[in-house]
Amino acid sequence: MSTDAIAMPSTAIAPRPIVATLHEWVTTVDHKRLGILYIIYALAFLLIAGVEAMIIRIQLIRPHNNFVSPQEFNRLFTMHGTTMIFFVIMPFMFGFANYLIPLMIGARDMAFPRLNAFSFWMTAFGGLLLYFSVVGANGLYGAGNAPDVGWFAYAPLTSQTFSVGHSTDFWILALLISGFGSIGTAINIIATVLCMRCPGMTLATMPLFAWLNLIMADLVILAVSPLTAAQIMLLIDRYLGGHFFDTQAGGSAVIWMHFFWVFGHPEVYILVLPAFAFASEIIPVFSRKPIFGYSVMVGATIAIGFISMSVWAHHMFTVGMSSAANNFFVISTMAIAVPTGIKIFNWLATMWGGKIEFKTPMLFCIAFLFQFLIAGLTGIMQGAAPFDWHLGNSYFVVAHFHYVIVGGILFCLFGAFYYWFPKMSGKMYSETLGKLHFWIFIIGFHLTFDFMHIPGLLGMPRRIYTYEPGRGWDTWNFIVTIGVFFQAAGILVFLGNLIWSYFRGKAAGSDPWDAWTLEWSTNSPPPAYNFASIPVVKSRRPLWDLKHPNDPDWNYE
Amino acid sequence: MASETLDLSPETERAKQGTIELPAPTAWPIILAFGLTLVFAGLVTSASVSILGAFFTIAGCVGWFRDVLPQEEHESVPIAGRVPTAETRHPQVAHVEWKTEELQRARLPLEIYPISAGVKGGLAGSVAMAILAVLYGILSGHGVWYPINLLSAGFFPARATTEQLAAIHWDAFIIASIVHVMCSSLVGLLYGVTLPMFPRGPVLFGGLIAPVLWSGLIHIMLEALDPVLKQRIDWGWFVVSQIGFGIVAGVVVSRQVRIRTWQYLPFAVRAGIEAPGTMREKSGRNGEP
Amino acid sequence: MNATSMTMTEARLEWNPSDRGRVAMLCLIAAEAAIFTIFVVAYVFYLGKSLTGPLPKDVLSVPIVYTICLLSSSLTIHFAAKSLRRGEIKSFGVLWLATITLGAAFLYGTGIEWYRMIYKEGFTISTNLFGTTYYSLVGLHAFHVVVGLLSLSIVMVFTLLGRVRAEHAERIDVLSLYWHFVDAVWIVVFTVVYVIGR
Repeated sequence: MSTDAIAMPSTAIAPRPIVATLHEWVTTVDHKRLGILYIIYALAFLLIAGVEAMIIRIQLIRPHNNFVSPQEFNRLFTMHGTTMIFFVIMPFMFGFANYLIPLMIGARDMAFPRLNAFSFWMTAFGGLLLYFSVVGANGLYGAGNAPDVGWFAYAPLTSQTFSVGHSTDFWILALLISGFGSIGTAINIIATVLCMRCPGMTLATMPLFAWLNLIMADLVILAVSPLTAAQIMLLIDRYLGGHFFDTQAGGSAVIWMHFFWVFGHPEVYILVLPAFAFASEIIPVFSRKPIFGYSVMVGATIAIGFISMSVWAHHMFTVGMSSAANNFFVISTMAIAVPTGIKIFNWLATMWGGKIEFKTPMLFCIAFLFQFLIAGLTGIMQGAAPFDWHLGNSYFVVAHFHYVIVGGILFCLFGAFYYWFPKMSGKMYSETLGKLHFWIFIIGFHLTFDFMHIPGLLGMPRRIYTYEPGRGWDTWNFIVTIGVFFQAAGILVFLGNLIWSYFRGKAAGSDPWDAWTLEWSTNSPPPAYNFASIPVVKSRRPLWDLKHPNDPDWNYE
Repeated sequence: MASETLDLSPETERAKQGTIELPAPTAWPIILAFGLTLVFAGLVTSASVSILGAFFTIAGCVGWFRDVLPQEEHESVPIAGRVPTAETRHPQVAHVEWKTEELQRARLPLEIYPISAGVKGGLAGSVAMAILAVLYGILSGHGVWYPINLLSAGFFPARATTEQLAAIHWDAFIIASIVHVMCSSLVGLLYGVTLPMFPRGPVLFGGLIAPVLWSGLIHIMLEALDPVLKQRIDWGWFVVSQIGFGIVAGVVVSRQVRIRTWQYLPFAVRAGIEAPGTMREKSGRNGEP
Repeated sequence: MNATSMTMTEARLEWNPSDRGRVAMLCLIAAEAAIFTIFVVAYVFYLGKSLTGPLPKDVLSVPIVYTICLLSSSLTIHFAAKSLRRGEIKSFGVLWLATITLGAAFLYGTGIEWYRMIYKEGFTISTNLFGTTYYSLVGLHAFHVVVGLLSLSIVMVFTLLGRVRAEHAERIDVLSLYWHFVDAVWIVVFTVVYVIGR
């Protein structure tokens, strides 16, 4: 609670005991520290879920492999999916939003600093509870047992009959708890963006980053709540003998699918909108041009927000819905490609004619543009119901959504890491290691996920723990697994770069990229109060106006 | 001027005195979160965990409440360090030179080809391609009608022998013409849009790279589109006639007169609304508000 | 090099961002509304799909009086907030207490109905699909009433201690938003359960 704890470290202060530092981090309500906590927490889970993915791929490297048992395989893919979505990407996004939004809109903190801390700890404890199941759940054999019902936990697999013991309950409760945290953060982000902007910053002049995160937070509120409701129903079924998803008593397994995907598809946009936000900040700065079509970008984002609420059942074409429902969801799925396409064109138009600097963040964003385009195209392919009837539940689907999440979202995230690392740590990362990371990772990514489409087209279903030789899948699976090792190497280079640069990197200065948003106007790392005096802005690029007083933006907006 | 702005809020008043009030660190949120987690974790472990969790939850709520009521806890943080100045490595701004406007900035592209340029290029390319295709028909010894029939063969799956394909079919001719002209003008339009976007080597791209790329694409898809053509196609000649199209269409497009884009005008003006106030007035001299 | 001080020169600006407490409460209400939507959808979807009895018309009795209690508590809380804004602490306290009483009466009504159904008629959450959907929907609403009553009671305690003053009107307004929401949800639940579903 001491005041000098928050003050800028000066050379005179002796190193404080680790307990004091720890206490400071645990009790912090500072949005920057909470943002960093989110990010470090997500990095830890990224490693765990990454190792799970590696084990899955090693098991599938050749037919009839015996690296793990079928039961373990089920647990691995369930934990991999759940962890990556809820405890890696979402905390990453919340972490960056927490750290950057107040800085970008010229505020001293989030709207509700204590709620912010509470939300983070809920998310954190949710993840810990999920992994406590590995030792704590009473499984079928009396030993510890992780959830094994898949990340979307279709009924009736989750009923007491088929899921004995508490492993599924751990899954439900972990998501319920972290869901409360997510809703808390979302409320905080909305209140911050709407109420905490600095003087002069209207909705039409705030950075696109704030806009995209605002829509993301709206989606969290509208999408995570249905998941919470569905989880409560599942708990009632499992603990109180309810019949929501009990087909023996007239309940419906399909309605679980609807409830899950009402959450599940907007969730994809919850994950990808912050990635768009990173790209919308990084691409203009490294193209030395303002973002092309700001208002259209905002409009497209809002359109994505709306349409994403009405596409969920394209995950369910193979269930056998009525043709009217099929038509509706095919059309809405096609429709969402339009605003997304507008965004891609706007980023390209931002780059076009610019003086592009190929720094590591920009490389990741350019790769994102290409890969996200391909991911979107395979998405449209599967958005057509007849095509999906053939490829639903195959490795083609797996390849598609990994293309979105890894090729799109994770690439943007890496770009964001490199772009804002100097701001967060005050140190410059190693450009050599960053480029090395980029090239190793992109090779690994394409080896794995390009070739993963093919066994899917050849009929390989997802979630099988092994397969017969001679179906034409062997070579492809081998290549896919090899790619995973490249990706793992890339991640190690990335982590090495972060750690090395943190301790040995050159001082970055307040504005290493010659950027235009407010976070670059304060020190790196920013002091606890962010801005000694609250800035006043007149345009979308306040730092441009300061740097070019003869040619400010507000004449043109 | 500057000091006037600083009086905006009470916080900045305090900033002058050298400290800023920030929310005080507190442990109650983590205690509340831990308590709630334990309450739920009791469901999968034992009731005693839930009871412990309930205790933490109540403690967390009460503590949190006392933090924010009646007044939110604050701590004063001294302002330390120097506020960085805004500096740029790019102080020079390159301005667009445009004859009639005094605008300094512009939306790229400044000039585009009109739509008619694309159509003209496409039609010219289609003629070049047709000549090359007919030349192929003659040189391969099957006659003038052979390539025309091949193009429309997807519509007439019954005509599969070489004799049938070399004969005159007016229906095939009409359909082939429609397909040919339509595809050519669409590709021409694409040329009209994309060629000015390539800073270097529009001839190389439009004449060579693009035709080879789409030949590859057609190579993949032809089995589904037109299996008869797939069986009989001579890829060498095919690529040559595509390149012929590309060069002619590219040359014709690039010889058209470019027009100025209207993106710098407000939307209302572009939409044809004529009213005072739709154009933004320039305020003051260069760049000054 | 082109360097300028970070302090931006700008004339005094009109700057009145909206109240963050109100925004947060509206967001919370949106989230809660989404949760209730899912439960209502499940209730409607499962209407008449139970494989065994009892049917809704066999066990449900329409709680008209208690519904009137809850809905009128929306009025009292509205006028309570209004009198606080005018600084009339005493009438605020009375109206606030009336709100709590009316809310508690509603909760009591739900309690005796559940007691009758569970202990007299043996109709529980696991009896059939109707039981599952009915108890979870009405129970979820009752849970929100409980949370609302708890927060109202805390305010009541502070009022009795003389800590509530006119400057807290904004916060009380925000809290009353939540109570209005709880009432509005009951209108939906009542319509679905007792009018359409019965």
